[in-house]
Amino acid sequence: MGTMLSLQKVTKIYPGAGHIKAVDELSFDLEEGEICTVVGPSGCGKTTAMKMINRLISITSGKIIIDGKDIARLNTIELRRSIGYVIQNIGLFPNMTIGENIAIIPKLLKWDKAKTDEKVLRLLEIVNLDPDEFRDRYPKELSGGQQQRIGVARAMAGDPPIMLMDEPFGAIDPINRAHLQNEFLKVQEKVKKTVIFVTHDIDEAIKMGDKICLLKDGHLVQFASPEQMLTHPKNDFVADFVGGDRTLKRLNLFTVKRAMKDNPPTIHQDETIETAQNVFMKTNTRYLIAVDSDGKLTGMIDKEKLNDETGKVKDLVSPTNAWLMAHASLKDGLSEIFSHEYGFLIVVDDNKKVLGWLHTQDIKETLKG
Amino acid sequence: MTTRILFHLIKRLVPVLLTICFIVWLYTFYGAWDYTIKNIAEFFKLIIEHFILVIISMFCAVIVGVTLGTIMTRKSMEKMSPVIMAVVNVWQSVPSLGVLALAYGFLPLIGLSGIGMVPALIALFFHAVAPIVRNTYAGIKSVSKDVIEAATGMGMTKKQILFQIELPNAMPVIAGGVRTSTAIIVGTAPLAFLIGGGGLGFWIFTGIALVDMGIMMAGAVPVALIAMLFDYCLGVSEKFLVSRGVRTDEIELA
Ligand SMILES: Nc1ncnc2c1ncn2[C@@H]1O[C@H](COP(=O)(O)OP(=O)(O)O)[C@@H](O)[C@H]1O
Ligand SMILES: [Mg+2]
Repeated sequence: MGTMLSLQKVTKIYPGAGHIKAVDELSFDLEEGEICTVVGPSGCGKTTAMKMINRLISITSGKIIIDGKDIARLNTIELRRSIGYVIQNIGLFPNMTIGENIAIIPKLLKWDKAKTDEKVLRLLEIVNLDPDEFRDRYPKELSGGQQQRIGVARAMAGDPPIMLMDEPFGAIDPINRAHLQNEFLKVQEKVKKTVIFVTHDIDEAIKMGDKICLLKDGHLVQFASPEQMLTHPKNDFVADFVGGDRTLKRLNLFTVKRAMKDNPPTIHQDETIETAQNVFMKTNTRYLIAVDSDGKLTGMIDKEKLNDETGKVKDLVSPTNAWLMAHASLKDGLSEIFSHEYGFLIVVDDNKKVLGWLHTQDIKETLKG
Repeated sequence: MTTRILFHLIKRLVPVLLTICFIVWLYTFYGAWDYTIKNIAEFFKLIIEHFILVIISMFCAVIVGVTLGTIMTRKSMEKMSPVIMAVVNVWQSVPSLGVLALAYGFLPLIGLSGIGMVPALIALFFHAVAPIVRNTYAGIKSVSKDVIEAATGMGMTKKQILFQIELPNAMPVIAGGVRTSTAIIVGTAPLAFLIGGGGLGFWIFTGIALVDMGIMMAGAVPVALIAMLFDYCLGVSEKFLVSRGVRTDEIELA
């Protein structure tokens, strides 16, 4: 994994705009496979910075290096064909079907028909649209969210190592946006593109970025990972921009698994009550987590309700929903802890096998770092 | 679905058939049939002349109109295009007869004959080119900036953008211009006779001069039928040339 994209003192002065620097000596390096979110107030130069990378806007001074090559020396058309481009207003070609829209770059690259068809099929599946239903439709026959997904699919069709995305989910309602963000991150896990992702929404920048590039009036204020930016905002502007709730925002950056403690107090549901009482004595807790022979969660037992009864744990277990999947965010974890009376949360894997437990104290420690 | 198409067919066909019946009835009623049979050789000569007038001027108007309209949308022409547009609009506002008269009067000044088929063709062409230029220009200009930016950013060349994006998306508007031009040409062609351009106008004007409805109908009815034929052909070719994604009419025939 080397440096894929490098901006070196990139500056843009628009002619006749009073010599204001729309982008002012912007420098940063991006590793292969990283998403860099470019964020900042409206008019801070995000779009300008992005469009200089595929040379839709000429550079006034400075250099942009892609994979070791100065883009000023590359053929513009070839450069653009090797960079996926998603614009804010989608810009699907109305005269072409969805299939033809996605196939446009493979066609420009002169792929053979079989390979192109195969690619179209795969991309439609990746963005969760049934190929048989959508391939032959026209853009006007799709909803905004569906069109947006096609826009992303189209940009990925030529297997570009780099993608530029200008507020790609900007025009979409919050529910669908969250869905598309998650889908994009899932796809990114697989394809590992180097992505420049422009947004004006700091929450989106934090969620999507491996790195955040925060701009103000054309110059770089801070370039850092979301975690760094939230814990160590460089100045008041950054602190203000990320918001007063930045500690809470950090909760989104961690999974439940990261914060949980191993070896929660469990007991096999086939054990006797007597054994359970012994375990209670040893662990000094009020609740025990009941599991079956596969270690899967079956419920909880409460010490207070134990009395002197004889019999099996199984008979006293009460079902519980105080659990979360290991890959849930800490924010959800915190919220769940507060919505049950146990004071902790059970962490399970995809098969509901118990992995650990989570207390508010664990969350505090994780945030402290 | 089939009933809808059937209904649609009936809705479109019935008025056409009724009009044709009416025209043919007029034709026979005034004895145009007999006159045509008697002068069948001349009939064919006139109808061929008429077709030549319409098709050649139409063909040139489409080629020149689309080319000029497209050139006007290029960046380097930004300053020139309002001027060209103004000229083109003035041309269109001159009445048909006026255009013919101008051709008759002007062509001799540059050493060409003002009489015959060529001046008629030139006049028809100039009269009909305007809507095509205007609609091509407007059609290409109306293609969304976002679409062009996406195409450019993805690495399409100017030429690819023009032929794969701009022209196909402008096609419904261009087709509208071609329809208007066809109507103008088909409507003006009979007047070509007045400057010696030939065509079915000969019989129409002869009929008027002799107050002979038969001769007049022998010219007028084929003219009307030709107009309908051209309109039909345009409709069919639009189906092939205009992508379903940019078509505006809702009902489509499987
Ligand atoms: N074509 C242009 N000509 C002159 N000034 C421009 C042009 N495009 C953008 N600007 C100016 O450059 C600055 C940055 O714009 P932009 O990159 O679009 O900001 P953002 O995408 O962050 O909202 C703004 O002040 C804007 O007014
Ligand atoms: Mg912008």
